[in-house]
Amino acid sequence: MALLNPKSKVSSDIPDASMADIAFLLLIFFLTTTVFNEEKGLPIVLPEAAEEVAVSQRNVLHIIIQPNGIVEIKRGESVQVQQVRPADVEAIWRQDVAANPNLIAAVKTHPDAPYRFMVDVLDALQSAGAERISLQILEG
Amino acid sequence: MPIRGGGFQRKSKAASQIPTCSMADIAFLLLIFFMVSTAFRTERSRIIAWPVAEATEKIDEKRQNIVHLWIHADGQVWINDQLVPIPQVSNVVAPLYVATDRRLVVAIRGDREAPYRFVDAVQKELQEAGAVRVTFATRLEQMVTREVR
Repeated sequence: MALLNPKSKVSSDIPDASMADIAFLLLIFFLTTTVFNEEKGLPIVLPEAAEEVAVSQRNVLHIIIQPNGIVEIKRGESVQVQQVRPADVEAIWRQDVAANPNLIAAVKTHPDAPYRFMVDVLDALQSAGAERISLQILEG
Repeated sequence: MPIRGGGFQRKSKAASQIPTCSMADIAFLLLIFFMVSTAFRTERSRIIAWPVAEATEKIDEKRQNIVHLWIHADGQVWINDQLVPIPQVSNVVAPLYVATDRRLVVAIRGDREAPYRFVDAVQKELQEAGAVRVTFATRLEQMVTREVR
């Protein structure tokens, strides 16, 4: 008689028993794949505007960054200049701060020096635990 | 004849099963809640060559109190998707500083090849605006040559 068999065993309903599983799967998928781009960097607190603090030259370690990446170290008023690589600053700082705990790092960067050399030196100083850092531009 | 159920008769009509038919609704509700409540930063990232540093650490400040300041190698400064001339930086940052209740952290995202004169000029502008909490955004060095302290 009729070609369509009304006794077909295939269910015409969408199975909804697993809906909860699907939804939780989606929920967990989105929860785990969400990546928060974390803010990372080298923190430093700039001095307040027009804040001038007189510092004894004895307590200053001048770190001069040249455009070619050479770092010149000058201790206080001494005219002696030591040329090092940015990575060597860490050891120098550790050595000098052991002798003088009041030491301040004055980082003077040449205007044409790439930013990354300043970051390298700042990295070395912060790796060595330096907290008294002054960032300046090399004048003259 | 032993009494079934050890003498306790189960007359309670309450179903002992957790109703599962509303589980899907709950799950979708959670899904939709998280989708709606996720706030995305609308600022576009700019393409710069990141400087690397080993002492890189996480900024301990709320996300809404951090402003990104991009410095390109050619000296362009971008804040919130806008090109800002360097002398105008303090005028742009000062309202943000007030809006964040003086807790603003400026994340300087400088190109590694940017000449330092631009970075210095930006720092002076930030000092003028009073935003003295600054972070030089860096990437952690991939090759760990020294052991972590």
